[in-house]
Parts: sequence; structure tokens; C-alpha cells
Amino acid sequence: MLIEILQQTINGLAIGGVYVLIALGLTTVFGILGIAHFAHGSISMFGGYLTYFLMTGYGLPLIAAIPIALAAGVLLGALVEMLAYRPVRHANHINAFIVALGLTMMVEGINLQFFGHEQIVIPTTLSRVFDIKGVTVPELRLYVILSAILLVAAMMIFVEKTKTGQAIRAVAENRDAAILMGVNVTTIPLIVFGISTALGVAAGIMVGALFAIAPGIGEGLVVKGFAVLILGGLGSFPGAILGGTVLGITESIAAGFISSAYKDVIAFAVMIIVLLVRPQGLLGRAP
Amino acid sequence: MIIRTIAGAVALAISIAAGPGLAAEKKLAVGVADALTGGGAVYGLPQANAVKMAADEINAAGGIKVGADAYKIDVIAYDDKANPTEATNAVRKLIDRDGVKYVLGFCCSGSTSAVASFIAKEKAVMLVGNAAERSITTQKIPNLVRTRPPADYTGQAAGTFIARKGHKRVAVVGALEVGFYSQYVDAVEKELKKAGGEIVAREVFSLRDRDMTPQLTKIRALSPDALLVVGYVEPAAFVYRQSVELGINVPRYGFTSGSEEQFLRVTTSEQMEGVWDLRPTELTLLSASKNGIAYHENYARIFKASPSPSSPYAYDQLYALKAAIEAAGTVDNTEAVAKALRSLPVPPQVVMQYQPVDGKMFDENGQAYTSNGAFQWQKGKWVFVEDLPSDAKAYSLFLGTLK
Repeated sequence: MLIEILQQTINGLAIGGVYVLIALGLTTVFGILGIAHFAHGSISMFGGYLTYFLMTGYGLPLIAAIPIALAAGVLLGALVEMLAYRPVRHANHINAFIVALGLTMMVEGINLQFFGHEQIVIPTTLSRVFDIKGVTVPELRLYVILSAILLVAAMMIFVEKTKTGQAIRAVAENRDAAILMGVNVTTIPLIVFGISTALGVAAGIMVGALFAIAPGIGEGLVVKGFAVLILGGLGSFPGAILGGTVLGITESIAAGFISSAYKDVIAFAVMIIVLLVRPQGLLGRAP
Repeated sequence: MIIRTIAGAVALAISIAAGPGLAAEKKLAVGVADALTGGGAVYGLPQANAVKMAADEINAAGGIKVGADAYKIDVIAYDDKANPTEATNAVRKLIDRDGVKYVLGFCCSGSTSAVASFIAKEKAVMLVGNAAERSITTQKIPNLVRTRPPADYTGQAAGTFIARKGHKRVAVVGALEVGFYSQYVDAVEKELKKAGGEIVAREVFSLRDRDMTPQLTKIRALSPDALLVVGYVEPAAFVYRQSVELGINVPRYGFTSGSEEQFLRVTTSEQMEGVWDLRPTELTLLSASKNGIAYHENYARIFKASPSPSSPYAYDQLYALKAAIEAAGTVDNTEAVAKALRSLPVPPQVVMQYQPVDGKMFDENGQAYTSNGAFQWQKGKWVFVEDLPSDAKAYSLFLGTLK
């Protein structure tokens, strides 16, 4: 029984890591700009597709394709902010909402047009399996978990320890006060979208290597990302980390010990129960 | 006025002179409703390709001959995304807007059942391919036939095969929310029980699931002596890959009908080694007839990819339709064509190895039967190992008793 619980926890950690990265990207944008960036899932799939394309089209190894895809993610995020969201920044919230929906459809269409309808799996050479006293850990999953931890740590250090990070937090706390303190509020959204999209791209690469990328996968992922956001607490970085991990492990444990047919239902039921007890989410601030 | 009269006379003369020739160039629009995108596309797209390929072959050989006329086939294909609503819309569009009388394709059961529910009221003939839900041919729809046998027809044979291998505790993981997959498993279970065996777990995955480790971890803890995987190729491939990653070292059986190419997009050949696929004897080169080998070569040349094993169900639809139209002597009277389909011997051009019932390709239910086979993954390829025991006549009688 203990081995089964540990195995299910390891299983859940890998997908939980992906949820954390998606949710961190979403929470960064939502916390600072108040935008529900629905296209985030489709854009992260674009990152996965791009990595696959760099590997199969240009023969690049995975280790070289990843930084290029991440850099492309930063650029793409900045472009999305400039071209899609900036024009409606001062308009009613519904405008940004409509832009987000339109952007989702557009990116899905672009993915379909350029990369086709077939599912693709990012090839890796990580095929070893480690057996630790009956608990098996595939090498690829181990790298995914470690990469997620590294990216989350880097993100936390950036936000907490750097001047730009402090400026981002300042804008999130109080935009007007940040302006008075000399923070450039035109550049901050560009940086936020760049970082958020790069995190999404990383998640897309992980999904592509662990599972597969196909049309529609990004939409499912963004729904889970928002669930994590709500579970952890809107706009809270630690909340996104905790929420993603909890959701991943809950799904795995629910499928293993209750029923695989209802694993999503059970995961969302847990979310609802948490919200009934803590409406602000696990680590969100009470209004 | 004089010029007009001369022009009219010339046109009339040309039309009289070229009369029989023009009649020979008639067009017959044939519709395809199938999953061209989305999860079902692994079956639907190769089916649509197969219909187009068959149409090109028939056209090149002079078309469908009805009396003095020869009809060239014009294929109109719509994407139903394996979705019931999309399928209904696609078929409505084919019938109402494009004036199509013959609709082919239909890879997936949910979307096919939706269309089957109203097709009896239409002056059209529906030819179903890979969709294996049993109820599609238990409704006695006179203008519907299906080339693929129902899932439980194959499941019964598969259960006997697994029981003969001596397995007593079989764990199942599959798309069990899909009717025909659960029918397959029910039939397997019945045969296992006869031999004193049992199914110890029925774990579920959905079409979009790619992480099966929770289900497989649960199964591993039950220590089964065999694993049975039933479902669409893509999730099934992940089950095979992840079962190896979790160290589940028992014989693995499946009901998936995926090609080598489709599996190798997800797994490695080593991870697939030894896996059995217990399914209708569909297209694999080692089990293929002359027609099958030619089909494989032509498909690979035209579409730059190997055909999926189930794609000839759709290819065969068009040859069956051609033979039925020619036998009925009409393209307009769909009732006569539907009747002709039910009394049709197996056309010589088909790829699958059909087991005719009373000498006919389709039985009274509109159902065709192929033999069932045990295929095993050996060094990167599906190898046909043996026929599975199947009795088409007995099953046909059983099917006729269902409503």
C-alpha cells in the first residue's frame, strides 16, 4: 500500500509540475494585469510544436532546441502583449476577455495550419527507469520534475530578488503607487508576458515529451491551469505552486484509489471543497 | 438571327454526334463523413484517403457502369471529428446541399450511431467502416451496411485465445466508456469465465488521456497475469509505453488496430515487443492477400504514409457500392441499390478477407464479417500469427435476434 501511495505521488508530481508552470504563467499575467489569458494553453502547445519542429526539421538536439523555443516564447509573449492586449488595456474588462478568446482560436488555427492535426511526441533519449525499492521512476519524469522545480525556483528568485521582479510585484500590489515610485509600467507588461509565455513553452515541451501535443490539448491544459489558480489563490505564486502540485497528486491518487473514470471529477470536487472552506484559495489573501 | 440559328444548329449537331460520349462522362457524387481531425483521425483520415484512392482507381478503369452510362466518382469529404453533432451536420450537408445519395466513411461509433438514427428516413445509402458498436447493425436499417464486424464478435474469439494461453487473472485498461470496447471486454470475460479465469480490474481512460500511470500503478498492485488494452491507438500506445516504465512484466494483449507507424510515434519497438493485437484480420502485409499488398503499395505511394490496418474497410465500401449500383442498374433508386448490397457476393477487388454468410458479403442485418486474427509485435512489425476461432454464420444469427 505504501509503495502504491508513493508511486501515485511520483506519477502525480510530473503532471503536477506541468500544472504549476502553466498556472504560474497565468497567475503572473492575472495578478499583474488582471487578464484571464485563455490563449496561454494554445501558446504553450505552440512552444512544444516549435521544439519538435526544430528537432525534426533542423536536426537540433533537444538540449539546443529548448533554449531557442524559450527565447521564441519570450518574444512571442511580448508581441501578444503589444499587439493583442495593450490596445484594450484601458477599455472595459470584457474587451480583454474577447481578445483572449479570439487569440485562443487564432493560435489553435495557426498550430493546426503549420503543424497539422496529428499528435506529435517530442523524441528524447531518456528511456531509463530507476527502481527505488519497488517505486519506479522513469528518467524522463524525473527530469520533468527537476526542471519544473528549477524553473519555479528561478522564477521565485527573479521576482523576489531582482529589481525588475520587485517592480513587477509593485505593479501587482498598487499600480498607481508604482508609477509614483518611477516604475515603467509600459515595460512591465512586456516582461510579464515574456516570462509567462516562456513558462508556458516549458510546460508545452514537457507535455510533448511526456505525453503528446495535439490540437485541443492546450485548451484542456489552460482549464486545469485556471483551476490551479483558483485552488491556490488568485495572483499568488506560492498558491500556484501548491495548487498545481495538489491537483496533480490528487488526480493520480483519485484514479489509483477511487476510480480512473472520475479522476477529473474527483480532482475538481476537491477544489470545490477547498473553496468552500477557504474561498480565497489555499494561499490567497482574504478580501 | 441567322448567326443564332446557325450556332443553334451547330450545337445541336455536336450534341447529337457526341451524344453517347457525353452520356459516358456522368458524375456520381459520393460523400464521406469521417474524423479528419482530432482523436479519431488516426482511423478516419486513412479511411477518407482510402475512399479517394478507390474512386481514382474506379474512375481510371472507366467508372461505374450503369446501362450505357459510365459514372465517374466525385468524392466530397467532410470532417465529423468523431463527434455526433458534427457527423449529423456533415451528413445533412452532404444529402441536403450536395445532393449526395451514398455516404461512406464512419470510423467511430458515437458519430456513426448519431447518423444511423435518422438515415432510414433518407433516400440515401450509408456504408459504415471502422465503427464497431454492435447496435449499428441490430436496428435492421434497410439502407445501412457495415464492412467491419462488431466488437463482441472479435471479443469472443479473443477471450478464447487469452484463456487458451492459460491466463486466469486479466487486468483491463481501456476506453470502457465507449460501448463497443466494453462489449469486446464483456465477450472476453465470458470466455475467460468458461475457462475458470476472471477479469481483476477494469480501469478506464478517455480518448484524450495520455497519462495512464495512475491506472497502471493500481493494476500493478493487483499482480495480474495478463494485461488487456482496448482503445484508440494513441492512448493505447501510451499504456504500452508506461506499462514498461512501471515494470509491469506480464503478457500484454490489445484491441487497437493501429499501424506500426502510429505506435512508433509514441513508443519504441522495444516497449512494444511481444504485444498481441487480437482483432479482425485487417491489413498487415504478412496477412494480406494480393489485393492487400497492392493496396498497401498504392496507398503508401499516394499518401506518403503506411495505411492504417483498418482503412481498407472504407476502400472496400466503394467497391461494394460500385458492384451494387451496377447490379441494381441505377444510381438514382437508392432502395434498389440498398437491396442489391444485401444480396451481393464479395467483390473481387476488396482488400479485407470477408467471411460471406450464405454466399453474401452482407448478411440480413447489413453486416459483413472478416476473419479474426492474432497479431504479435515482433521486432518492429505486427506479425500475423494465427487465425482466431470465429463463426460468422452463428454470430449473424445471434445478431439477428437483437434489437
